[in-house]
Amino acid sequence: MLNIKNLEATIDNKLILKGFNLNIKPGEVHAIMGPNGSGKSTLANVLSGKSGYEIKGEIKYNGKSLSELSTEERAQKGIFLAFQYPLEIPGVNTNIFLRTSLNSVRKANGEKELDTLAFLKLIKEKSSELGIDEKFLSRQLNVGFSGGEKKKNEILQMKLLQPKLSILDETDSGLDIDALKIVAQGVNSYKNKDNAFLIITHYQRLLDYIKPDFVHVLSNGKIVKTGKAELGVQLEKTGYTNLV
Amino acid sequence: MKQYYDFKIEKIKGLSQEEIDSRKKNLELFYKNGFPNKKDEDWKFSDLNKILSNNFNNISNNDYLFKEKNFKQIHEFEHNFISLFNGQIISSDFSYEEKNKISLKVFNYKNEKNLDKKNSLNLLNHALASGGFSLEISKNYKLKKPIVIYNNFSNSLNETIVNYKNSIIINENSELNLINYIDNSSKENFMVNTIENIKMRKNSSLNNILINNSKCNGYFYKYTKNDLEKNSNLKNYLILSGLKFNKLDIEINLNEKDSKSSVFSALNLVKNEHQEIKTRINHNAPHCHSYQKVKKVLNNESKGVYQGKIFVKNIAQKTDAYQLSGALILDDAAEFDAKPELEIYADDVKCSHGSSSGSVDLNSIHYLKSRGIPEREAYELLINGFLSEILEKMQESELKNFLIKKLERQINEH
Repeated sequence: MLNIKNLEATIDNKLILKGFNLNIKPGEVHAIMGPNGSGKSTLANVLSGKSGYEIKGEIKYNGKSLSELSTEERAQKGIFLAFQYPLEIPGVNTNIFLRTSLNSVRKANGEKELDTLAFLKLIKEKSSELGIDEKFLSRQLNVGFSGGEKKKNEILQMKLLQPKLSILDETDSGLDIDALKIVAQGVNSYKNKDNAFLIITHYQRLLDYIKPDFVHVLSNGKIVKTGKAELGVQLEKTGYTNLV
Repeated sequence: MKQYYDFKIEKIKGLSQEEIDSRKKNLELFYKNGFPNKKDEDWKFSDLNKILSNNFNNISNNDYLFKEKNFKQIHEFEHNFISLFNGQIISSDFSYEEKNKISLKVFNYKNEKNLDKKNSLNLLNHALASGGFSLEISKNYKLKKPIVIYNNFSNSLNETIVNYKNSIIINENSELNLINYIDNSSKENFMVNTIENIKMRKNSSLNNILINNSKCNGYFYKYTKNDLEKNSNLKNYLILSGLKFNKLDIEINLNEKDSKSSVFSALNLVKNEHQEIKTRINHNAPHCHSYQKVKKVLNNESKGVYQGKIFVKNIAQKTDAYQLSGALILDDAAEFDAKPELEIYADDVKCSHGSSSGSVDLNSIHYLKSRGIPEREAYELLINGFLSEILEKMQESELKNFLIKKLERQINEH
């Protein structure tokens, strides 16, 4: 599904990713762990198509070069990034945003756009699964939301758009243990053999609830070690210092 | 500079000799000053004389007898209406209301002699005004439906100026939702110069909404003087994108305790459109509130100006005054000027003001795009969010939905 080969990413004349390689197949859950400044968020930004990065190397998504796709096309084709810091957008109603987003994706894929009623029914169902109070949906997008509410809102968007590849950028940060469980449940219930996850995190914590197939350690812009789920547990005990 | 205007009082019919003499004095004073230019502090950001001389060959006045009666009505909500053509009352309908609660007359100019030497457009209005209306709401009456004033202008108004005066009185304990609706798509250059006096008696309330529905080449200037008595509440909503030139000159006098006023404005300007909002809020009594939120989005070579002054008299203790101006500038050629002013003579007051201008936040655009929303729509969502925020606290839900839709159209149509 995703094949990254020798990826280099530079921003403001600073080389952040220095020959990054990763292959993700449908049905797999990959975790990327690493210390601050290792390039984790840069990877998420580059995959989402954020401008400002100078890119070398190759990223293929279902056989097609990702660099040819705009941010919105990537989303329409099933790449989803749950932001580390979801943006607060004053004046934009959450419900209207969610409907515009869903319908943009549906339209791009030749599906019929949902009318207000059908949308409301769907969003009610999805939000109750995540324990999101409907009142949130009539508020301005992420404005005044707590950290946990913002992250839940990201997972709600994921479940709504039904992406093939979901990238969760430090979704566990700022979550209390109850919210963490709800978010993990949300991910687990969506996981199937056709979609894949890339979970970017500092800590093992989230991986206690979402079991990864592979754990990669990112350091100084490169993957320095790859293992199974046990690697995450081990890192929690020993820290990154031995590896980086 | 070439003389590009030519005004004749003789064109106005039915005036007494006394009126003619008084109007002549005003016209003479106008001719001394001409249209306002940059030397005038109130016009420092918009040289009207230059703007008009660049766009008009010869402006003249005309006292037309208007035969047109057809106009497009709003269908989204039930309402009473007053229909004006070029400032003259053509028809009205208050059938949703109780009888004898609403009085509507043609404005009476007989007692209007005031010479305001500072404002040359007011001088011109005093000299040339005809038509207009006087609207009065009886006391203890809450209108069941809003009143829409259809401001229609003939397409034959090329190179013509229309001047008129209105007066609105809301008596004690009465409530009105008033919508000034402009719907003109004339490609001809014309000018409209209006003076409006609004008197709000004790405990009265007014939502005064100005909204424009189509693109037009009109040059509008409106001077509104609002006088508020005890515990009255005035809310202005200004949603007027699409006019070639528009300046609203709003004076609000909070004359008695506990009166409240607000000014909310949302403008999305394109091409070389020019809009200016000038406010002067006079806190003349203690315990009054004023609130202003003026938002503009500037595209292409458009220009937006906000001159907002809050004046607090020495006796006006416990004043609460707030003023915020925000602009999104989307093109290097666009211009935004803001001049906030506070003049405070009381010591126990809460006054704050702020002004911000900048471009659209690209991180927000990226966030929206990462959810599959195309770039253009992402911009529209953000601009809409930025502007429609001024309607957030509006309680009249039917009206609010109507305004949100109109605003959305003003944003998406260019």
